Amino acid sequence: MSAAADSHHDDDHHGLSHVATIKVLVATGGTLLVLTLVTVLATKIDFGANINLAIAMAIAVLKATLVVLFFMHLKYDRLFHTVVFVGAILAASLFVGFTLMDSNQYQQTNIWNPDAPPAAPYGPRPTSG
Amino acid sequence: MTDQPHEPHGDAHGHAVDDHGHGHGSPFIQHHYDDAQHQFDSGKLGIWLFLAQEVLFFSALFVAYILYRYHHPEIYSYAHQYLDVKYGAINTAVLIFSSLTAAWAVRCAQLGQKRGLILCIAVTIACACTFLGIKYIEYSHKVHEHILFGRYFDPCVSSGGRELLTRNNNCPGVKSTVVWDLGAGTATAGCFTDIDQDPRKDDVQADCTVKEYDVTETAKRVQQPKKDAGGNPVMGADGKPVTEEVEKPDVVETFKRDIAEKCPEEALPGQEPAGEHGVAHKAEKFPCWRTAYQPAVCKKAVGILVEYGDQVEREHTRIKAECKASPKAADAGDLLADREQRLQLGKPLIQPRHQLTVHEQHELEAMGPPPEHTNMFFTIYFAMTGLHGIHVLFGVGVFTWLLIRAVKGQFTPDYFGPIDYAALYWHIVDLIWIFLFPLLYLIH
Repeated sequence: MSAAADSHHDDDHHGLSHVATIKVLVATGGTLLVLTLVTVLATKIDFGANINLAIAMAIAVLKATLVVLFFMHLKYDRLFHTVVFVGAILAASLFVGFTLMDSNQYQQTNIWNPDAPPAAPYGPRPTSG
Repeated sequence: MTDQPHEPHGDAHGHAVDDHGHGHGSPFIQHHYDDAQHQFDSGKLGIWLFLAQEVLFFSALFVAYILYRYHHPEIYSYAHQYLDVKYGAINTAVLIFSSLTAAWAVRCAQLGQKRGLILCIAVTIACACTFLGIKYIEYSHKVHEHILFGRYFDPCVSSGGRELLTRNNNCPGVKSTVVWDLGAGTATAGCFTDIDQDPRKDDVQADCTVKEYDVTETAKRVQQPKKDAGGNPVMGADGKPVTEEVEKPDVVETFKRDIAEKCPEEALPGQEPAGEHGVAHKAEKFPCWRTAYQPAVCKKAVGILVEYGDQVEREHTRIKAECKASPKAADAGDLLADREQRLQLGKPLIQPRHQLTVHEQHELEAMGPPPEHTNMFFTIYFAMTGLHGIHVLFGVGVFTWLLIRAVKGQFTPDYFGPIDYAALYWHIVDLIWIFLFPLLYLIH
């Protein structure tokens, strides 16, 4: 292929958009597969539930970043596409964050029972006179 | 626009000509775009906006997942063991590989490599189908074992492989033969091959013991020391205890007598004794003839009497005569043998908890019945993997369409937008799976 010769640079723009080199593609794919293996093996070692979860999530985020940067060409793409995508992720994390903040608010809620009002200071005020 | 203007097909004046083909360029460049670059960039912005809404779309399910896991970690710790990490890992690898071929397809299209493009798309489709095939294996297994969402969650085995009491007894193979009266919520007949629920746990009456009976025991006459009215042995003239021949009932009768002895004044439903003020009160304890005898251990050569309590009559005594040790239990090695000891009736279900490693404890818990609301895990599981699976299915359709177009040679270095857009879509599908895999399969 005539175009193959000038596609060996990482930042090569050929035609309408960036052309990924075979080296970058295969390296990304290989790294992703290795990270999959690592995350499976990491579960077999006990670091404590929270640390294990943190490791698994860190690896997932790393994998996702690799996919976005190299497979999805975001590294070489227009900045605006990054803004759109990262914006969506920020919106999603706001969604998750605020829901989690709220989720503990209703644990202690008691249904008002007029027959058994709670003790003071929450109960009904004594009527004057 | 950060890019310098491109003139990939050398017809900067082409758009002025009112033909849809734009002169020498691809016939797929629409006339309402300035040029190929304009069309490509517009499409690309469109697909990125679509991907952004996909992220938001899935985030709702991730919120459900996170919230439920935050409040009920024990369910996730238990239920994920129903999932086979092997299948999840293979599917992850398959999707990553298909992402690679999808990205490679874009490269081929950009460089005008028609054969490479066709090959890459074909491999991508093949990988997508492999993914769906493995998903089918996983799903059908869950359907057979009733590891489903909502009220359809009625698993034949615990996540550790121990057979469970099911509400709808149509488990494949030799499983529990318990028949449930769904209306009353009680078992009416059946046999367990292993204990799965601790009769002494929680709501179940604590002082009811499950006794093992030897099913080979039939009615016979035996010699036993004669006793007087006070229960003292009667001594003969020679100073030795006098024996007498008595009728020893068979095992069913023995069981019935034991029950009657154990719960003599127990009220049957509808016949609750009147309380102090003439008000019928419900028995605080569970009637042991009904509840405590439902689950029972079966061991080789030992029959267990299981009273599956018909609520009106006490006649539903059943003998387990053909119980065998669970084959899965036999395979699981030393830990399980050790556990078998601990699970013996009359002892706490999980005794030396502090001596176990986290993994052993985890495994041990998996041998017990599912914690309450475990069905929610599978509701979330099926919602997430199902929605993802629909995306994969849609991707298969899109790539098949692209394959046909690629074979027709419709993609050229100045027109490959659809390949790029489909690949981006495919990468986001891969991306979501990259998170689903550890979240669902790799819970520690």
